[in-house]
Amino acid sequence: MNSNLAEAHLQTIRLLMERSAIYRRALAPILLLAGLLGLAAAGIGLGFHLESARSFAGLWLGTAGVVVTSAFLLVRRQALNAHEKFWSPPTRRVAQALLPPLASGMLLGGLPVVVPPAWSDNSLTALVWLLFYGCALHSAGFFMERGIKWLGWIFIIVAFSLMIILAANGRLLRPPAANWIMGLTFGGLHLAGGVYLYFTERRHPVA
Amino acid sequence: MNPEPFLQLDRLIHEKGRLAIMSMLAATPELSFTEMRDTLGMTDGNLTTHLRALQQEGYLSVAKSYQNNRPLTTCSLTPAGRKAFTEYINLLEQIVRQNKPR
Repeated sequence: MNSNLAEAHLQTIRLLMERSAIYRRALAPILLLAGLLGLAAAGIGLGFHLESARSFAGLWLGTAGVVVTSAFLLVRRQALNAHEKFWSPPTRRVAQALLPPLASGMLLGGLPVVVPPAWSDNSLTALVWLLFYGCALHSAGFFMERGIKWLGWIFIIVAFSLMIILAANGRLLRPPAANWIMGLTFGGLHLAGGVYLYFTERRHPVA
Repeated sequence: MNPEPFLQLDRLIHEKGRLAIMSMLAATPELSFTEMRDTLGMTDGNLTTHLRALQQEGYLSVAKSYQNNRPLTTCSLTPAGRKAFTEYINLLEQIVRQNKPR
């Protein structure tokens, strides 16, 4: 065996080791569902004028809960259909990567429900959520394919850009803005990502 | 060139299909039969043959269970399998190193 062949063998081994550690369940249905639920929540928030700190946080934390539960059930169904364990090592890694930023964001965003803040604006809460959510996606992206890390970066960049606009222009502070922000980002970005994956994701995925 | 490292390579692991199986299992505590089959693009029969060969050598353990009334076969490397795989990698690296121009 010459060194080129040995190097090729090592390269193949590295590739296979990485591949077996990566989470590959179909993500398109999850992103599409999150997108649709996000848009629906934004519609409810805008339609029913859920603009107080408490109602806004309640609406979106409730939506997050529904999204997480639905994603859990979708992934579980995929695992069952594939005759595989749901709580596989890649699934565990993704959950571990998601947990700290998601929990931090939810706790921080949930504060207004427990202790109503002095200010009446929810835009900052929405942007903090987007920031933490982007960090969560980026962390999980290390164990996933299909550009999830990029989606995380988009959330982070959008959050920071809007924070700058928020700091520069107080008009964003108008009450409906927060629901618009959440609808366009949490709803719109997920939906766009889901549509992209729907047409590009390979079939018969495994975790 | 020193042929010694090449001669020491574990013949059982050196086969392409079995090397792929060992590589995947080395990176994760366990994998299901379907995960390996789908990722490696092997047929059920081919994968079963390779798994049996590795199991007979004591390199991997196969666990059969049921999940939601469906049979589930999972494989994992044994300590002997992990050791053999590590030695195999070390030998490959040795081959690469000894042939590199200084």
